[in-house]
Amino acid sequence: MSEKLMVKGTEAIGESAIRAGCRHYFGYPITPQSELTEYMARRLPKIGGVFLQAESEVAVVNMLYGVSCVGKRVMTSTSSPGFSLMQEGISYMACAELPAVFVNVMRGGPGLGDIQPAQGDYFQATKGGGHGDYRMIVLAPSTLQEAVDLTYISFDIAEKYRNPVLILADGMIGQMMEPVEFPEFVDVEKLKEPDWILNGADGRDPRRITSFDIDPHNLEKIILHLMEKYRKAEENEKRWEDFMVDDAEYLFVAYGTMARILKTVVKLARKEGIKVGLIRPITLWPFPYERIEEMAERVGFILAVEMSTGQMVEDVRLAVKGKTEVLFYGRPGGVIPSPFEVLEVLKKYVKKVRV
Amino acid sequence: MKVEELKSKVFIFLGPFGTGKTELSMNFSMVRKRMGGEVALADIDIISPYFRIRDFVGILEEEGIKVILPPLHLLHADLPIITATVGGYIENEKYEVILDVGGEDDGVAVLGYLKRFLDEVDYTSFMVINTKRPLYRDPESIVEMVERLSRKGRVRIDFLVNSTNLGGQTEIEDIREGEKILSIVSERMKIPVGFSVVPDFVKDVKGLKYDVFRIRRFLGRIGGWAYENHS
Repeated sequence: MSEKLMVKGTEAIGESAIRAGCRHYFGYPITPQSELTEYMARRLPKIGGVFLQAESEVAVVNMLYGVSCVGKRVMTSTSSPGFSLMQEGISYMACAELPAVFVNVMRGGPGLGDIQPAQGDYFQATKGGGHGDYRMIVLAPSTLQEAVDLTYISFDIAEKYRNPVLILADGMIGQMMEPVEFPEFVDVEKLKEPDWILNGADGRDPRRITSFDIDPHNLEKIILHLMEKYRKAEENEKRWEDFMVDDAEYLFVAYGTMARILKTVVKLARKEGIKVGLIRPITLWPFPYERIEEMAERVGFILAVEMSTGQMVEDVRLAVKGKTEVLFYGRPGGVIPSPFEVLEVLKKYVKKVRV
Repeated sequence: MKVEELKSKVFIFLGPFGTGKTELSMNFSMVRKRMGGEVALADIDIISPYFRIRDFVGILEEEGIKVILPPLHLLHADLPIITATVGGYIENEKYEVILDVGGEDDGVAVLGYLKRFLDEVDYTSFMVINTKRPLYRDPESIVEMVERLSRKGRVRIDFLVNSTNLGGQTEIEDIREGEKILSIVSERMKIPVGFSVVPDFVKDVKGLKYDVFRIRRFLGRIGGWAYENHS
């Protein structure tokens, strides 16, 4: 670890990617993540990397496809509408088993929406924004240090599963500033060359990377192979944080910026004698179903809070299997619930249960 | 340099983004307002989507400061709006005007538009620098940046400001380190360091070389509550 620097979320992600060995970045600016594109534009040429601003997000994702084929660490970042444009290419990359790191700094949607922080892209991120049977591994940081740490490992995860990985942040994580410590630089020269890349078939059999097979039985085999990988990811990659859950009588579930705000609510509520805890999923896919199910058996209710009209709450219900009541509170469109607002909602429900 | 002793019609705060210009210009406005005159603070940040003066209007108006903003219906638009009233206030003899400029080249370009107003008055400009920011850590890159922004904004730089900080985790050593780096820049560029910015929670300021300007922190705080980091 190096010394602390004061950075914006977008810069934290960009610098961490560079330290993880990313030397190829393709992007198209969009608020509230444009500083990440700017940061890469400034940094990459100085360290022998490639920065390219494409003509659109559709072009970006296909450039990632190309770079990934030759085995280089590659990344892009965008915000909600831009990420929608990339979905077709992500589906192609998942089928072709191409690792890459995507960053979606969510803003208010649907449509052009607004430029304030939101969490309305959960369905798109976790349930397959593109077509076909595929998954993306989705990492959701709630502090800038965590954004650094998750970005740093995201390239390894992408390569381990030969699959696109998504850092799902929101505008607040993208724009806020915090001190962080960056990890050491990965020596790009020493990164192991994968045995599937297209680097010239001189002296070996040709390799094939494609997302296409006209024979349905062959395509089925490809898809079942993908599912096998996803099952392994479900076994190995689930990450979450428990916050004051040991004696909790009620439970919050939230991720990203919302989880950060709820930690304040947990502390405020405990001052008023309400024992509430928080589970913060860090991987949104694979989702920590089992941990939430365990907690469901112990608490009076679970309150999912999101900066949306309720998307992650569906996974919470799947986890809980009816073992406790699942309640929801959310504000969409770029409005951020304040801790006091959520505290009032919590108190209202606690009162109902206690009567 | 004591902020209370400065005499100028316009005060300009510029610099790279993420150095603390907004917080500094808010605090600076409050100090100037308490001296008795009329103070107008203009949000001419066309770069930042969040954490702008417009998010803190209530606090400033309570202090009697006139806040100049883009039109209400365009307040959250991702558009580079500089309202014509900024020029009006610069021309208005009653007001002392403080300009919170957006970061980097594009943010500073706004000053070019205001040049015809600024040329007619006395202005004092502050280049606000945080040596804990990744791209501007050493004297060389800071000198390059100061020259670039000064050229781009077509303004002379009167003072460097040591705004070295790590947000809520700032310690006196960080501020001291900033002073060291800026004293080198100052010598090379022949631009004096006006003061070091010290947040209210840093109590002991012993060993600082430059004058201290105390600030209350507002950012990381919206509607009276903080984006606390509990990890």
